[in-house]
Amino acid sequence: MAETIHITIDGREVVAEKGLTILEAALAAGIDIPTICHIRGEQESTNPCLLCMVDIEGRGRVRACVTQAEEGQVIEVHNRDLDAFRKERLEILAESHYGDCRAPCNLTCPGGINVQGYVNLIAKGEYLAALMLIKEKNPLPIAVGRVCPRFCETRCRRILLDEPIAINHLKRFVADYAKEARFRDTEVGKPTGKKVAIIGGGPAGLSCAYFLRKQGHQVTIFEAEDKLGGLMRYGIPGYKLPNREVDREVQGILNLGVHARLGKRWGTDFTLQDLRDQGFDAIFIATGLSRQKQLEIEGAEHAMCGLRFLKEVNLGGKPSIGEQVLIVGGGDIAVDSARSARRLGAKNVTVIYPRSRVELPAHQRDIEEAEKEGVQFFLMATPLRIMEDDGKIKVEMARTILDEPDERGIRHPIPMPGSRLTWTGDTIISALGQEGDPTFQSYGELEASIALTPRKTIKAHPSTMKTSVAGIYAGGDAATGSRTVIQAVAGGRRAAESIHEYLTKEKPSVLEPRFNFTKGKRFEDVDMHNFEGYDIQLNEVMPARPPERRTGDFGEVQLGFSEEMALREANRCLQCGCLGLSKCTYRELCVDYKVKANKARTRLKYPLDKSHPFIVIDANKCIGCTRCVRSCRYDAFELELSLDEKTRMLTDVSIKINENCVSCGACVDACPTGTLSKQDSVVPLLPAQLSSVKTVCTYCGTGCSLDVVTMYGAILEVKADQENPPNYGQLCVKGRFGYTFYRSPDRLYLPLVRDSVDEPFREVEWDDALKVVVERFQKIKDEFGPDSMGVLASARCTNEENYLLQKLARAAWGTNNVDNCARV
Amino acid sequence: MICGANTTEAHPIIGLKIRDAVDRGARLIVIDPRKTDLAAIADEQEGGIWLSIRPGSNIPLLNAMLYTIIEEGLVDQGFIDARTEGFEALKEHCQDYSPERMAQLTDVSPELIREAARVYATSDDSMILYGLGVTEHKGGTAGVIALANLVMATGHVGRPFTGINPLRGQNNVQGACDMGTLPYIFPGYQATDDPEAMKTFAKAWGVSALPSTPGLMEPEMYDQALKGRFKALYCVGYDPAQTQSDIQKVRRALEAMDFVVVQDMFLTETAKLAHVVLPSACFFEKEGTFTSGERRVRKVNKVINPKGRLKADWEIICLISQAMGYPMIYTSPEQIMTEITRLTPSYRGISYKDIGNRGQIWPCPSKGHPGTPLLHTEKFPRGKATFVPVSYIVPEEEADKDFPLVLVTGRRLEHYNNGSMTRRCEGFDIIAENELLEINPGDASTLGIVHGQIVKVESRRGSIKARVKVTDRSKPGTVFMTFHFQDNLTNLLTSPGMDNKTLTPEYKVCAVRIRPK
Repeated sequence: MAETIHITIDGREVVAEKGLTILEAALAAGIDIPTICHIRGEQESTNPCLLCMVDIEGRGRVRACVTQAEEGQVIEVHNRDLDAFRKERLEILAESHYGDCRAPCNLTCPGGINVQGYVNLIAKGEYLAALMLIKEKNPLPIAVGRVCPRFCETRCRRILLDEPIAINHLKRFVADYAKEARFRDTEVGKPTGKKVAIIGGGPAGLSCAYFLRKQGHQVTIFEAEDKLGGLMRYGIPGYKLPNREVDREVQGILNLGVHARLGKRWGTDFTLQDLRDQGFDAIFIATGLSRQKQLEIEGAEHAMCGLRFLKEVNLGGKPSIGEQVLIVGGGDIAVDSARSARRLGAKNVTVIYPRSRVELPAHQRDIEEAEKEGVQFFLMATPLRIMEDDGKIKVEMARTILDEPDERGIRHPIPMPGSRLTWTGDTIISALGQEGDPTFQSYGELEASIALTPRKTIKAHPSTMKTSVAGIYAGGDAATGSRTVIQAVAGGRRAAESIHEYLTKEKPSVLEPRFNFTKGKRFEDVDMHNFEGYDIQLNEVMPARPPERRTGDFGEVQLGFSEEMALREANRCLQCGCLGLSKCTYRELCVDYKVKANKARTRLKYPLDKSHPFIVIDANKCIGCTRCVRSCRYDAFELELSLDEKTRMLTDVSIKINENCVSCGACVDACPTGTLSKQDSVVPLLPAQLSSVKTVCTYCGTGCSLDVVTMYGAILEVKADQENPPNYGQLCVKGRFGYTFYRSPDRLYLPLVRDSVDEPFREVEWDDALKVVVERFQKIKDEFGPDSMGVLASARCTNEENYLLQKLARAAWGTNNVDNCARV
Repeated sequence: MICGANTTEAHPIIGLKIRDAVDRGARLIVIDPRKTDLAAIADEQEGGIWLSIRPGSNIPLLNAMLYTIIEEGLVDQGFIDARTEGFEALKEHCQDYSPERMAQLTDVSPELIREAARVYATSDDSMILYGLGVTEHKGGTAGVIALANLVMATGHVGRPFTGINPLRGQNNVQGACDMGTLPYIFPGYQATDDPEAMKTFAKAWGVSALPSTPGLMEPEMYDQALKGRFKALYCVGYDPAQTQSDIQKVRRALEAMDFVVVQDMFLTETAKLAHVVLPSACFFEKEGTFTSGERRVRKVNKVINPKGRLKADWEIICLISQAMGYPMIYTSPEQIMTEITRLTPSYRGISYKDIGNRGQIWPCPSKGHPGTPLLHTEKFPRGKATFVPVSYIVPEEEADKDFPLVLVTGRRLEHYNNGSMTRRCEGFDIIAENELLEINPGDASTLGIVHGQIVKVESRRGSIKARVKVTDRSKPGTVFMTFHFQDNLTNLLTSPGMDNKTLTPEYKVCAVRIRPK
């Protein structure tokens, strides 16, 4: 036993081995002293990060990494002054740091999906892993991939270069791919014994059910209609989202073991108290908004309700609407009603809206599609009166102007004095949007105690989805008012997380810090030098049926990307989000010490260096810790730092990997920021999201220990296992980078068979191949004896496989003709 | 002392450890015709020695070292007396191998040979690492014996930092041999003609008898196939049509067979000659154990699920066996390992479950045994070790008037064997896109060829094209190529010569000529 000493660290008595530094002694005792530049067992940095400074009683402030721990020392790691000093140091480092922690697409997605991650998994051909990464946040990718208004794409930096990545089309591609591949996602958590009731089987309810089930809770959805899907089934028309696709999404959720009680209407068939009495531990209300705003003009009773019209159409009905149809409103329901009306045979469909074109609440993309299908938009106009006359509808209308601003500064449209127009046609559809319906409060006592917002929706906390009643949560449109499917999905997920915490008292395992260095929140803040060297490559155009064909039926308009298109599109991604995220000690400390991200530099200083075959160098992110140089065993790393003498701020960095480099990759794994990252490793993850499996390298006979980082069946990177023999953290180029063969496009997946070698191979199923193998081996054995056959085993296969091969030769066939490739 | 091993490229982590040792003051002796990284380090090191040997002359060189050790009284007589036998005969045999006489044959000066012998013999601890540069010769086995003679004469064995270590080229060379995929042994090196072993295995495998005819080694299978007597081959995870020597012959042999089944991840050169190709899962997609070069049995864990309907090799083998009427019913590699440990004395104490992340080193004869990293501490397996005198075995083919250069083949850092894995990994073709013919500047200028030029390389068996890399790494009179590239099959050139015992091809020596294209 080595000689020991006694020291005190932040009031804790520590017995340490003699001869260690304070940092090592603390580490050995499990006490964390912040440091960036220290590498265990290596020389300390020539440009120390100074974060490991500690106060020793009676001695003052010292660097823990170079100060010996001595008997009786009383050490403070944390005090106000030290922590302030560290914050200051981290902020000085920030002044020369430039980059995005998270990509704008990722930050913008209401669902919080790791957009950059899944786009790049698609680029690597890892479609199922991409799908599962999406499903971490969005269990309805088939639906959302067809109807999302794509918040992410509006912030895509590629807009500054040419066009945004067609992110949502990529989402749809992997969702459809998984469907084709009959991929099933049925893994659920261990049963918790907790029961949750969900009222409403729309996107919010389904999403909540999915995430609760994944945690192992028992979930029952109560749905008033005959089928699950909510607005996705009864609101969104089939030409955008076919019902069979909704069926698939619903089936996927049900396959997890989610219960559904169909045709059960809240208030009629049960109350909240009934659910509690049935033993449900929590309730999530996601009933959506079934009430449409009323048209408040004379003769409004002659107008058909848009929401009901869409529902009827989606159920396969063919309401008789005649040839001339007028639609009042400008939102999704209006445009969907108009496009549906065209498909029902209406020749002349007009949408009337009292404001200008850019103010139409419906998505511009949908408006364009509607126009292509012959829908007309009559803008700056409003109906005043509806009359029925001999089976025809007559509408009195006026052009509108904008009134003086009201007290909130909003200018409302009003009829232009003296303007009078008349429209005569067959049907008028009112599609003014949905609104809250407080009648549920009359269902029971519990219901009555649920608080409402001023807009008569259920009042729920925006991040926990808690209502005013404990154990009851609300989300989706019922709480937020009319929003998109992805927002409902996000609400359902947040509710599930919150309910899980309520039921189990477990905190969420991965917390995404809000801290984010950015190259610019607004497009105009982003340094255009970032895009130098990129070629213009416009996005892939979604194949669609031509307008004249698609108005003849309710079949889907958009046909989906082919694999080639998806690969091309995904490869356009600029990879804004930092690929060093999972190893970024610097960011973690910035979070811990509450550094302000706006301290960071705002301009690109050094071009991205992608000249190394495996390593990307982004000198803009360098904080000068010199871990890279010190980890290089081949004198291949050239790092030059210039520092401001007074502040020690990094004023200039030069990073070069010279011709000595053997591509072992040690420098990348040592870098505590995204300055060095791996070309192949393209999914930005938080440290807590990293999961790895230990295994052994299978190139040469050294048998190095590997730490393979994986995600949903895709290998993200290979690292050296620091703890285990024989390599203890070292690897060669093959060990660290030679793993992508497993997803090579020419990998064999099915047996190949042919009768003679001058024929081409046929791909066959396993049973057929085995039949051929067995019959022909047997025939040769019978005819020429077992010694006419042999086995060549492999120095690449496992012991178990080699054992079986010689057993096959000797025991099954009866020959000693077995050898292996050890000679090569 | 590193003999015939380019460790920084073929075993980079071992190379790194050697460089670390050199940094800490270890003296380095490198025996290699090529100026490999370690050869260069040895050459520059104060007290280091690089013996740039003529390819194929290991035995005369090693015998000359032994001669020096004996002549200069550097032997460990105590060790020789206590642990060995047959030293007198060896001493007698060595008389013909003085460094002065061997200088011309080995192309190494007598002073250097003597100096190397002294450094090796007199160091407190000396360790030998050797690679395929020793074994892939007609005198491969004899070369290993020559090394062993050096070890035993100096007593550098059985202690930490000593001994003789073969560097395994493939991840599971050790394990494949341990498991008995050799024609003459059962698992655990138990002879197939030992009646006791036959009885044990027949009983364990539930058969009335096991074959008593001696099995064929791989090259013999090809010979028999060409004679029409070997009809069917089941080839798993091996690509002899690219990596065997003299592959024209291998290909003819495969074509002569009635039925060839290849099991691999990709359509290899051998798979292209098969009747049936069975796709297999890779090591990320399955579990099991590998035994590394230090006899360390390591657990390989499943990292990802196999894509599509891929199966692990062991599952496919079981399916074939069962369909042929011999039941092989295992649900996991663990069950197979349990059977292995029952039948393999050196693996008896290996526990699949508890193997951990560090592995277990055999011999591990009983449960709870810590494993045996260091062998021969007290005695050798047969008791006393025997010195076996070995003589120079001339390579099958030497440079001559028509084919004036010697081709040495080997590995490069950036690729691995037939390249089926590395050549499919992103980035690797950037660092090493194609085959390179390494040639000394002097030879290049004599031939009038320049760096980057594409030339024809011809041997008596074939001809391929390759890009020239002029480098002083190649010894004058020798050229070097790898065998990693499917589009440049170097083994069309290599020699038909083989080690007469193991039938290991003589990859390290064949006569070639170069023609500007």
